[in-house]
Amino acid sequence: MTDKRMTGHVPGTIVLWAICILFILVPLASFLAYGFLPVIDNAIVYEPTLDNFVNIFSNSSYRTTFLRTMLLAFEVSVFNFVLGYATAYFIWRRPPAWRNALVIALAIPLLMSYIIKIYAMRGVLGTNGLLNSALLAFGVVDEPVSALLFNLTAVRITLSVVLLPFMVLPICVALERIAPQVLQAAADLGASEIQTFRWVILPLSLPGAIVGAMFTFVLASGDFLAPELVGGIEGFTFGRLVFSQFGLAFNWPLGAALSVLLMVVALAVISVARRLSNPRWQS
Amino acid sequence: MTRNRFIDLPLAAVAMLVYVSLYLPILLIFLLSFFSMRRGKVNWDTFSLSWYAKLLENDALGGALWNSLLVGSLAVTAAAAFATSAAILVRSRPDSHSARLLEYVIFLPFLLPPIITGLSLLIYFREAGVGRGILTITVGHTLFVSAIIYRIVLTRLNALSRNLVEAALDLGATRIQTFRFIILPNLRMPLLTGGLLAFALSFDETMITLFLSGTDATLPVRLYAMMRVGFTPTINALVTLILGFSILLTVAVALAWRRNADSARMTSGEGRT
Repeated sequence: MTDKRMTGHVPGTIVLWAICILFILVPLASFLAYGFLPVIDNAIVYEPTLDNFVNIFSNSSYRTTFLRTMLLAFEVSVFNFVLGYATAYFIWRRPPAWRNALVIALAIPLLMSYIIKIYAMRGVLGTNGLLNSALLAFGVVDEPVSALLFNLTAVRITLSVVLLPFMVLPICVALERIAPQVLQAAADLGASEIQTFRWVILPLSLPGAIVGAMFTFVLASGDFLAPELVGGIEGFTFGRLVFSQFGLAFNWPLGAALSVLLMVVALAVISVARRLSNPRWQS
Repeated sequence: MTRNRFIDLPLAAVAMLVYVSLYLPILLIFLLSFFSMRRGKVNWDTFSLSWYAKLLENDALGGALWNSLLVGSLAVTAAAAFATSAAILVRSRPDSHSARLLEYVIFLPFLLPPIITGLSLLIYFREAGVGRGILTITVGHTLFVSAIIYRIVLTRLNALSRNLVEAALDLGATRIQTFRFIILPNLRMPLLTGGLLAFALSFDETMITLFLSGTDATLPVRLYAMMRVGFTPTINALVTLILGFSILLTVAVALAWRRNADSARMTSGEGRT
């Protein structure tokens, strides 16, 4: 009996691994390998060198763009972490009926086209945009602020808005998982509301929140659509730099080598997130 | 628990900021599909459905919409088969190293920045001599959405009692019969939800697709191209229609889930571990 069950797996396992190797691992390997190929006279030469990497590390504009983008992604994820945690905590404190409606209201913007949302942010942030009209109407400013669009601030705001649901929803899930008995126990033992939050709710929901923040970081660090559409010339990011190698600049190997940096950071963040989301971490 | 107003007020303020910022761009698109705007103010006298009418004449958008629907259906079907088999395999031996590794690899195209998934497939297909088109986009989308279906199916499989499968096998059912009559009926809802979610992801995917589409653009890629050369409000009308349709579909699925949960509770015929 056991034998039949074991043998039943083998062909399936081989097929699944074949698909993974053929369509996930080999493409990733070929992208890594491409980073080592030089381009001479607009043609790729298949003799591996370290030229691209030497070029990247000696070129200060690549370095600054990389660091600037990492900082930007970090800022967006910290900002969204704070906003997202407060929002999720607010939702969690509502009665169940309200809670469901609020969570659904968070998910609906995800149904709206990503690229259209980014484009619409132009209409929100522009000199004649909704935000400026609101600021004028409330008397916060006397004349429209032009510093909101076509720079890094615009990229920060836009990424923050489009990525917010990815932050709030995981925290909602983490808070939802806290057993009511635990809170009851805290209350029975005389904990104040703030003590319950500090010693019970926060430690139980923090791993979920940090995973959300890391997911936000990975998405923000590699995004090139938001910088392209709202960033203008000033809002040049690493994602745009990579993407341009596949378009106008047409230097695929350099683009691949540049993305290796992005991939190293992403894999590091993902493995930390995996460890955090592992329940054993909490003990 | 007593409600503390000094905690709730600042929280409510932040939550309101979040909801307003999420809905502001959507509201803007919705309004612009009916009205024209000047200097940041909606001109309420200009209501018209002309952008919706013009939508019917736009062949480029129609073709792109068709491509998106085609790629979405193909990718979801392929991903459902792939992810379900992987989930069944991982569930059958959750502690083995190879199963954990398989799970990690399946998650890579979803977790890595889309730009990396996109360009690695672009380089791979170029070296393999496969031209860019519907096929390459479909492969990219299949890999991208597999993780979601895998996750949802695995969660359901973990809730299923192992005894059910053991019992079927002990009673002489073949593996195929066990799958067909025991596992598959229990996966109907997760496959429906996972499939719809995956379709929504595929329908909206832009960054991977930009690398993999040749002349066959999907809707977001077409929109991206249109934005760079000049944007017509026809797009607002199209996006509003798509949003309305997605909301209807989501509500329908939510209702189906509730009915399914109710009937499951009433019959309670499912073994839960």
